[in-house]
Amino acid sequence: MSERKQLLMIDDDPDFVDGIKSILTAAQYDVDVAHNPKDGFAALQKKKYDLLLLDIMMGRGAEGVMIARKMSRDPKLREIPVLIMTGIREQIAFLFGSQALHPHFVEVDELMEKPVEPRLLLERIEALLKAAGDRANEKK
Amino acid sequence: MEKPSRILIIDDEEIVLGSCLAVLEGGGHEVATAPDGTAGLRKAREFAPDLVLVDLMMPGLSGFEVLEGLCGIDPTIVTIVITGYSTVESAVEAMKRGAFDFLPKPFTPDELRLIVRRGVERRRLVLEAITLRREKEMLQRNFAAIISHELRSPLSAVQQNLFVLTAELEAVLDESQKGRLERLKTRIGDLLKMIQGWLRAVSVSEGTIGGDFTVVSVPAAVANAIESVQPHATRKDIAITDSTPASLPPVLGDETILTEALINLIGNAVKYTHAGGKVAVGAVVEAGQVAVSVADTGIGIAAEDVSSVFDAFYRGKLGPDAEAGCGLGLALTRRIIEAHHGTISVESEIGRGTTFTVRLPVHAAESTSPPGEAPAATSTRDPGGPR
Repeated sequence: MSERKQLLMIDDDPDFVDGIKSILTAAQYDVDVAHNPKDGFAALQKKKYDLLLLDIMMGRGAEGVMIARKMSRDPKLREIPVLIMTGIREQIAFLFGSQALHPHFVEVDELMEKPVEPRLLLERIEALLKAAGDRANEKK
Repeated sequence: MEKPSRILIIDDEEIVLGSCLAVLEGGGHEVATAPDGTAGLRKAREFAPDLVLVDLMMPGLSGFEVLEGLCGIDPTIVTIVITGYSTVESAVEAMKRGAFDFLPKPFTPDELRLIVRRGVERRRLVLEAITLRREKEMLQRNFAAIISHELRSPLSAVQQNLFVLTAELEAVLDESQKGRLERLKTRIGDLLKMIQGWLRAVSVSEGTIGGDFTVVSVPAAVANAIESVQPHATRKDIAITDSTPASLPPVLGDETILTEALINLIGNAVKYTHAGGKVAVGAVVEAGQVAVSVADTGIGIAAEDVSSVFDAFYRGKLGPDAEAGCGLGLALTRRIIEAHHGTISVESEIGRGTTFTVRLPVHAAESTSPPGEAPAATSTRDPGGPR
């Protein structure tokens, strides 16, 4: 029996967070929540997480992107799979115009559009966790 | 604490420089001086002053030339001319050319302080106005995206919780309650789609696309578009075939938005085709253009309606399963294609089906001409190769 996976969710919309948290808790995941990028990054450094659910548009703009970039520069945090949840998949191109911003900011991430079908969300999370587990095993 | 304002004084009389320095330093200003116009302009570049006091009568570069030079360095710098012998004419002339004010020699320390204070205030207002204008432009440019995000976020949160409640209350709710929950989800989903449609329409009509075109592979875009429509087709038991040759030359464009246009066309084909029908996507190269066609075996469009299908808010006679739409899809698709210097056409026969054809200029890798001129440059090379 494997121990419960630790997930962190960074999203500034408490109502959305509650909905997602309810799905994940029912599926036997432990979920911590941070409501802004600053607390979120602090949490990432304090505790070891198996997966991050990240919102893009927080605060004054695409602050979620900053987190993803900071994580990709950190050798430890880089290993954590990131599932980006956003309401702005199509808008990314509009918002950032000429700035190169591909949805795949981090090597292992996945992008889902809000709102998410609970079953689909669980499938993606499971797949990401499995892929991360396989990578970790390969390294050993 | 505000940061000190920077003042540059350009005057050939050392005694003027010295006394100005003495008066202004300690008044919360950073002061630099220059003994002539040439040195003054050099200093202005490195010092980035808020305010420059310029003597009009100097050996070498004249005060007027200095004013011109300063305007070239930064047109928001506020300038005040110092007139040696209080000739009103030259002061007026200087102000006509953009100087903020003039200070006749000899002047008292209080006169200097007053005019400097007014000049610094002026500079602050000029900069503030620029910042406000920029913010306004920024807001206008991203208005659609901002509004859309603001509208979508709460709706997404509501929808998310409806999804969760549906799953969690599965065993508790009766059929009628479940039905109402489903209808709520459909309504919210339609709202979300509508906002998305408006946003796209606005973005495309504002001409915000086109600045960052890259080389786009047509077969890949077609495959992505089909993948996105596939669930809908599967539900309706409609087979989508793709005969787009992999050897197709690339086009220049915005991949996301081009794919969006293809999704619109293929999605429409599925929408207006009866269950069990077929949608065929294919592409050829002709006359320097990649022609992508989407053909369905659907209900077709009446001859009198063909000319209006690309109009905004036109909606076809309800599809076989009365599917909803906002009537923007084809108008948007045409705008997207035209923004890519392409064309879109339609052929249809009632009861037999409809074929939409999108033509986009082939992108020649070595060509540096803008995309609009690409066909002429490539038409002789038969980039399609053997097919």
